[in-house]
Amino acid sequence: MTTKTIKVEYLARVEGEGALDLHIEGGQVTSANLRIFEPPRFYEAFLQGRSHVELPDIVARICGICPVAYQMSSVQAVENAFGVKVEGQLRALRRLLYCGEWIESHALHVVMLHAPDFLGYPDAIRMAEKHGDVVRKGLALKKAGNAILRLLGGREIHPVNVRPGGFYKVPTKAELVPLTEELKAARDMAVDLVRWVATFDFPDLERDYEFVAMRHPDEYAITEGRLISNRDIDIDISDYENEFEERHVAHSTALHSLVKRRGAYLVGPLARYALNHDRLPASIQSLAGEAGLGPVCRNPFRSIVVRALETAYACEEALRLIAGYEMPEAAAVPLEPREGEGFGCTEAPRGICWHRYEFAADGTIRMARIVPPTSQNQPCIEEDLAAVAAPIANEPDDVIRHLCEQSIRNYDPCISCSTHFLKLSVHRS
Amino acid sequence: MTGSGGRILVLCIGNPDRGDDGAGPAVAKALAGALPPNAALMVRSGDMLAMIEDWEGFDALVCIDAAAGGSEPGRIHRIDLAEEELPRDMAFLSSHAFGLGEGIALARTLGLAPPVIIVYAIEGQSFDGATQMTAPVAAAVAPAAARIIAEVARLQEAEHHA
Repeated sequence: MTTKTIKVEYLARVEGEGALDLHIEGGQVTSANLRIFEPPRFYEAFLQGRSHVELPDIVARICGICPVAYQMSSVQAVENAFGVKVEGQLRALRRLLYCGEWIESHALHVVMLHAPDFLGYPDAIRMAEKHGDVVRKGLALKKAGNAILRLLGGREIHPVNVRPGGFYKVPTKAELVPLTEELKAARDMAVDLVRWVATFDFPDLERDYEFVAMRHPDEYAITEGRLISNRDIDIDISDYENEFEERHVAHSTALHSLVKRRGAYLVGPLARYALNHDRLPASIQSLAGEAGLGPVCRNPFRSIVVRALETAYACEEALRLIAGYEMPEAAAVPLEPREGEGFGCTEAPRGICWHRYEFAADGTIRMARIVPPTSQNQPCIEEDLAAVAAPIANEPDDVIRHLCEQSIRNYDPCISCSTHFLKLSVHRS
Repeated sequence: MTGSGGRILVLCIGNPDRGDDGAGPAVAKALAGALPPNAALMVRSGDMLAMIEDWEGFDALVCIDAAAGGSEPGRIHRIDLAEEELPRDMAFLSSHAFGLGEGIALARTLGLAPPVIIVYAIEGQSFDGATQMTAPVAAAVAPAAARIIAEVARLQEAEHHA
């Protein structure tokens, strides 16, 4: 029996440090491991004893690409614990800030990190020699997203303007409106991007995923909603731990998440789209149809099309929010700390970002638990890898390696985000 | 010899919360108010993709960044990209997907790169989070700023005589 091991020692074009081990015996894939060796970061441990006021600024540091997701889930949890609801224009501004993050994060991945896979280039720099216009559009889109983050968040990376209850400072209408022209141009570029990525050749793979995403009665859920799946999950976010569990596996510093009753599940653009297609505006639904997407897409390689579609949606939604904006009287709702537990969950660009905190009576954090999207997707990524490699197990290693790397990048994995550890035990003798 | 009397961008790159990676921002502080009116001073934390569009329209770019991989912390290297490439054994660290080398390569491919690019690399030894610059790198900040001021003057002068 022939046994071979295919290794990718350092994954390129993903955020953070990870590797891939694939074992093939007698033409059968026996194991596929996404090995995450980024050091654990212990955020949950060092949040203990810190004030709820500091929380959004600390968790923003978990990720330089999706800091808003961590900020939004954390402030929602604080507000949930202290019995406050942020609504009206403050809620709209938070959604707008989140749209900015979706735009910059998705544009980066679609154009700079993922598209080269489909066109046979080693990176975006080589791709730019032939597709300079698209790369320029990708950069301009990212810039438009960053402009929202800069205005509402104070700066592009790790924004500093989010606080429990709202913001430290809110813009005037006159400060917000100048974003409109840039966002209109961005929307047109995103529409072009959808049409462009839809022309790629996609490997023929359909997977029977359990999609998990948030669902809101009126919106394409980003900042709030119930947690649902295409199987039978329909729960309040506070019931997350009843339905899902995290397990430590030896080959990853990021905990694996599973539906307790079933196993792997998928979060992110494909899940959001499948569960909320009817919440997209008609213009975006029509664009999806034009790009060859039905209301559900189960081909992980086509996630690039859905990601581009969500970029166009985020531009459209940002324009709608700006048009309807009236400056609120106060930048934040007052909060009275109280002892208790709070939950937060929002749709990060890569999928649901779930938080739970316990607070002391003065608002000090007693316990923190943060479940990032990439850690949730790990078991699904590994199942994809096995499915992708199985039919080509007898092909040359380079062919298998390329397609497996591309499969991992289908998830836009943010490995730095995913390496959270609850406990570190040191045994000494 | 490369020269430019047009607009000059002095770009200081780094994260002041990551030890010697703070060299770029520290040089920027030392340069504040010391550059001529046609030289713009910019400080960025390292996301190249967010900055390469800012380069368009400049005639010369002078970058200051900390680099890992050397053997002499605090040593200042001057690299004129018209004459040589960025050394491969020296890593210009970025926790983002694109570092300085990739950023310059992409900007050149897209026609966004100024014709003159000069990189000042300061060798660092520690890039740990929440730490200060090490003593040899901190000691290199003032000399690096002086060299940048001279470089900008030279670029203006070279163009003047062109």
